[in-house]
Amino acid sequence: MDKSKLAERRAALLHAGARVSRNIISILDPEELLQQTVNIICEEFGFYYSGVFLLDEEREWAVLQSGHGDAGAAMIAEGHKLKVGGLSMIGAATGRNKALIALDVGDEPVHFKNPHLPLTRSEMALPLAVGDKVIGALTVQSVEEAAFTEDDITALQAMADQLAVAINNARLYTENHELLARAERRARLLEAAAEVSRNVTSILDLDKLLHRMVDIICEAYGFYYAGVFLLDKEKEAAVLQAGRGKAGKVMVGEGHHLKVGGLSMIGTAIAERKARIALDVGEEAVHFKNPHLPLTRSEMALPLMVGDKVIGAVTVQSTEEAAFSAEDISSLQAMADQLAVALDNARLLQELEQAHAELVRTKTFEAIATATTEAIHWIGNKALPITVSVQRLYDDLEDVPSMPPDQLESIHEDLTLIQDSARLIVAVKEHLIGPAREYMPAPAMIEDVVKDTLTAMRIPEDVAVSYEAKAALPLGIADTTQLSRAIKYVLQNAIEATAEADAPAIDVVIEPKEDKGQLYISVQIADNGPGIPEDEFNKIWATFYTTKGAKHAGLGLSACMQIIKQIDGKIIARNQANGSAMFELLVPVYQGKLAATELPVSQSFLLVDDEDAWSRFVEESLVEAGNTVTRVAEADIDFGPYDVILVDEVLEDMNSIDVLTAISKAGAGPKTLVVASNMRVERMMELIRYGVRDVSVKPYTQAALAEKLR
Amino acid sequence: MDNDAKILLVDDERGVRRSMEKTLLRAGFDVYTAEDTLSGLALFKEAQEEGEPFDLALLDLHMPNLEGEEDPNAGLKLLSKLIEIEPELRVVVLTAYDEVERAKEAISRKARAYFVKGRESELIDLIRTL
Repeated sequence: MDKSKLAERRAALLHAGARVSRNIISILDPEELLQQTVNIICEEFGFYYSGVFLLDEEREWAVLQSGHGDAGAAMIAEGHKLKVGGLSMIGAATGRNKALIALDVGDEPVHFKNPHLPLTRSEMALPLAVGDKVIGALTVQSVEEAAFTEDDITALQAMADQLAVAINNARLYTENHELLARAERRARLLEAAAEVSRNVTSILDLDKLLHRMVDIICEAYGFYYAGVFLLDKEKEAAVLQAGRGKAGKVMVGEGHHLKVGGLSMIGTAIAERKARIALDVGEEAVHFKNPHLPLTRSEMALPLMVGDKVIGAVTVQSTEEAAFSAEDISSLQAMADQLAVALDNARLLQELEQAHAELVRTKTFEAIATATTEAIHWIGNKALPITVSVQRLYDDLEDVPSMPPDQLESIHEDLTLIQDSARLIVAVKEHLIGPAREYMPAPAMIEDVVKDTLTAMRIPEDVAVSYEAKAALPLGIADTTQLSRAIKYVLQNAIEATAEADAPAIDVVIEPKEDKGQLYISVQIADNGPGIPEDEFNKIWATFYTTKGAKHAGLGLSACMQIIKQIDGKIIARNQANGSAMFELLVPVYQGKLAATELPVSQSFLLVDDEDAWSRFVEESLVEAGNTVTRVAEADIDFGPYDVILVDEVLEDMNSIDVLTAISKAGAGPKTLVVASNMRVERMMELIRYGVRDVSVKPYTQAALAEKLR
Repeated sequence: MDNDAKILLVDDERGVRRSMEKTLLRAGFDVYTAEDTLSGLALFKEAQEEGEPFDLALLDLHMPNLEGEEDPNAGLKLLSKLIEIEPELRVVVLTAYDEVERAKEAISRKARAYFVKGRESELIDLIRTL
């Protein structure tokens, strides 16, 4: 090369070096810096190709980061990389931290024949190193053989060194930046955790606490959405209590809930009691696609646990895929754990408050009930003589020799008014105090109680009554006398409701029913009357409420409710599809065990009863124990041959008094037991006068039967 | 029971006592009243000692007992006491409530009947059957 060309070349090299230096100072983006550098090398030096490789994290491969021209772009797209310490010139340069120059590549064994660069005849590989540490290499290729001068090599190595320092600085900057960002994030998360701690101890309003929680999570972590779900009472669904932003507000308003164990991440996290993380929700089978949160790409569901007990779950969602770091997950789970404890404490406090309020209510109610009972007892007793006195006055009036008819009529009218009022007061006393007295719940055949009540009521013949009891009903738990009373109230209502109907009809259905996990025997009494007006539904249970005029105390349904509540049952009034009313009494199924018992053996029993569920139970029990049982429903028989006579007080086609008269005449009273599903004193006294051994409430279990027969 | 039978009526409710007394007097019975168990027992013993014992006692359930305290079973206690003195005495227990078990308790203590107050005309019929 002549002197002028040499000078020109050196000037170009200086110029190129200066440009690279400027770029290194001014271009902050490392990618752009590398690209600019390879472009300058090719443009200023007139080389065919130049490229920069950087070592990967494992320092196994030199990966092409920027390359000149189309060849460079194509190789970057292919992910072009060369093994460190391998046969390629780049591999050798990076492996040995040494510049390699192949002046005729055809003769150089370490050259990799690159199809993208077919014209290369000279190649130089310069290591990019900071001190002893190689971070990559620069390749420069020429179409000419022996293309590189000493000046080129010196200038390019200087550039490579500068570049290495710049890349290293950029890397350090990025690393520092990341470290700083991580430190800032950690500080933010710590602050968030501290705020959660402060909030869980200072915010007593649960609702406010939950809303603050979701705000803290979203603000501190920069997430798209967060929500808190709590399990419902049945532990079947997780119900959203608080959600971030407008989406959260709308979903809480809609009563958004997810089935436990269902397909949603929340449902699964609660069922499995462990965190669920879907980094790309599109590919996660358990993710619930929520139209309110269309941008979610990552979702995390963290169970809220207190010990082994799960009380709900927190959902955290991000618009980025793979958004959650291990640190996020552990810090969010720690927050969720704190929240769970706070929620559980709040729940315990709430329960305590409720228990306290309930206690106060109960005590208040007891005090009111006691005072009311005493008052009614007192008033009722004071009213008792009134009816009798009035009757005496009626009788006395008949003996008054002369009285103007108008005056007599007026006195009669006043006496009737007094008598009606007194009777009402006495009835109120009996209705209000009656159900609370002598309450003796026991296992009972509810269908038998209903049937006996229906039979004993002697419902008017023009009212068509249908009765259907589903087979094999379990025993209920009830005081059968009180239950019978409640059924009678409802039946009486039904009869009165059908008074205006063309063809009065009452349908009674008895069947098992499950309500909120509790087993009941449902007694449905439907009529074909006009139904209950909508605005009356809440009033009908109120004491003293009546639509039936002044002579009714309005205590029937209120007393009914009292009786049913006493056995932890339910009573529901509703109108049927045809508009007529139906009352449903739910009697709890007896859950206790039926004790093994010893019934009498080798005795001869006469059972005076209709063919029904109770008589079948008695017959089967006694026969199984080794007795003989004869069942009849008539009075005209020989009572002599039997050891024990059992008489059902309610018989469909005859009066049990006729049976007892015959028994008494036959002198069989002492071996006779009269049983009834409901028992009133007057009836008992009436029956006992026939000289029978006992009159009692029907036994519905073998143990109770054995007790009666003992 | 004869229409002129001698009856002891023990009830602490003045109105009830007087009303029932009037009904019984009108029916022809010879009626003596007491307002609590102590005075009732005293009256009964006095009649026994005078050789003119009562044929029948009508006893309220809830009233002051022999210790002078309000007692829902005061009538039953007095019943036992009277039967102890006169085992053949006819006793009807009076109550304001329909209580089968208490009625049975009265029967087991040898009462002849248990009567729910408020229907005195039926009480007269009942007394005549005893």
